[in-house]
Amino acid sequence: MIGIIVKLIARRLLTAVPILLAVSALLFCVLRVLPVDPAAMSLPPTATLAEIEAKRHEMGLDKPLPEQYFIWLTDALHGDFGPSIQYRRDSGSLVAATLPATIQLAFAAMVLAAILGVGGGLLMFRVRGTALEPLTDFASILLLSIPEFLWGLILLFVFGVLLQVLPFTGEVAPGLPVPHITGFLLLDSLMVGRFDVFLSAAKHLILPAVALGLAFSPTIMRVLRSSLFDVYHEDYVQQARLRGLSEGRILVRHALKNASLPTLTLAGVQFGILFSGTLLVEVIYSYPGMGNLMVDAVRNADLPLIQAIGLTYCIVVLIINTLVDGLYVVLNPKLRLR
Amino acid sequence: MSALTRSLRSPRVLIALVMILCILCCAVFAGWIAPNDPGDQNLLSILVPPVWAAGGDPAFPFGTDSLGRDVLSRLIYGARTAMLVAFFASLGAMIIGTVLAHISGYFGGTVDWIIGRLVDVWMSFPPVILSLILMVGLGVGLDRVILAIILVDWTRFCRVLRSEVLVVTRHDYVAAARLLGFTHWQAIAREVLPATLPLLITLMSLEMAIAVIVEAILSFVGLGVGANQPAWGQMIADARQYVYQSPWNLLLPALAIFFTVTAFNLLGDGLRRTLDVRLSESGR
Repeated sequence: MIGIIVKLIARRLLTAVPILLAVSALLFCVLRVLPVDPAAMSLPPTATLAEIEAKRHEMGLDKPLPEQYFIWLTDALHGDFGPSIQYRRDSGSLVAATLPATIQLAFAAMVLAAILGVGGGLLMFRVRGTALEPLTDFASILLLSIPEFLWGLILLFVFGVLLQVLPFTGEVAPGLPVPHITGFLLLDSLMVGRFDVFLSAAKHLILPAVALGLAFSPTIMRVLRSSLFDVYHEDYVQQARLRGLSEGRILVRHALKNASLPTLTLAGVQFGILFSGTLLVEVIYSYPGMGNLMVDAVRNADLPLIQAIGLTYCIVVLIINTLVDGLYVVLNPKLRLR
Repeated sequence: MSALTRSLRSPRVLIALVMILCILCCAVFAGWIAPNDPGDQNLLSILVPPVWAAGGDPAFPFGTDSLGRDVLSRLIYGARTAMLVAFFASLGAMIIGTVLAHISGYFGGTVDWIIGRLVDVWMSFPPVILSLILMVGLGVGLDRVILAIILVDWTRFCRVLRSEVLVVTRHDYVAAARLLGFTHWQAIAREVLPATLPLLITLMSLEMAIAVIVEAILSFVGLGVGANQPAWGQMIADARQYVYQSPWNLLLPALAIFFTVTAFNLLGDGLRRTLDVRLSESGR
């Protein structure tokens, strides 16, 4: 079975290569037709036209566009995205420094979204046909109408400002040391044995992760419910009932297992979107991840940094989708036989 | 159009339409409804709480922001921004997406393949990231926001409608139209397009909800409609800095966005249930 999964992932990665090439070309073109001159921006305002021209030559901006793209691509493949204009540091290292914080946030949110989504979906399915059904129906539409952006603000307002029970700015309480080993703060603080840092970091993670998780759970809820409906029309559910199995057992042992496949397909797509959803949540909670870096870069038209971050987002989303495909094979016996 | 009249009897659609009408009224008659000029700065009365809180001033029913601008008036004028973006962005995305979907689904073959791969590449960009990158290129402004949303979201229409067109094109009445001497374009316009209309209308109302959110996001990040145009996202960004002094300033625009998005989603959901034949047959 592992062989099949590896083969499948390898195939997915092969199709990912042309997509990534096209994405990087698109990214490159969009940012090159800008009315912004990176050469002029990286020089002091007193620079003469001749100096700007020399800088343009040095940066390769006087070459034809396809050649510029090729140079950028070969450098990018070597991990060199060029220096950020505002930080004057390699863009790749800036991304690498902020990526773990974003992954940590996205992972916590994904786990939450999965728990809430499956729990809510089961609840919605259990109350079908009862007086509670329209209520859960309406609730799910309401939940669907609240994007992560609004959840972030609502939770910040209720738990941060009104109740003042949870912190809502930054990654860890100010004044505490931030250990750097893997970049994942929760992990690093445990590795250096600073439980106070771990606790503070965990507290700071709660609101952003819940905001993101809540925003993505209703879709999972609704798909799980409707796939449960489909599964309940199947003969094996009737048969299980005839055998005298309890409704709870049918739901968990037979229906849920089969309904989890379409749910997972959708959840995979959702998790890809969820990863980019970290951007807003990070901005709202001033969480020092890649999203804040991106907004910062965008505000300052820092082209090399925007390119590096944009490409990183696309790569992570592609990786998530590939992993979900692999998981799909693990769970679906029909695909394993092929 | 019996399906449309039927959907008008659905409670979801009715409630949604009433909600949308309220927002539309705010948007259209903003000049009459708003008690103050949304851009007027009263630097002597900044961050005034709303009237129901202690220290409120009846001149500013919902309080003022950090520059002393009237929150209620900015909320009302913000509705105008949101509705303009919702309408024109979803219309533009709908037109591009629908045209490409019909070409792709009707003709098939190489054209279909090319459009399909274009959608693939476009969709491998997370929408938020792509719209941010586009805003760097386009610059701020109401028309730029609309253009950015169109350029990002046409794929939503294209992908969903294409599979619908694929099904409709196989129907005999399309072949019959061709036999009657219809050109391909006539067949698409008169036979295929009307059949995909219910799905199209549903998608459009859902897209309006998305456009409202994206506009709020871009304005929140500071790459939206620009500083002179009141926008809910901008109000939130301003309030985020003074969240301890005036939490209401954060909550009110957030509620406005929530109300608008719920209205469009409810409309989309109601239309989907009543217009989509397959859905109403299976009861779900």
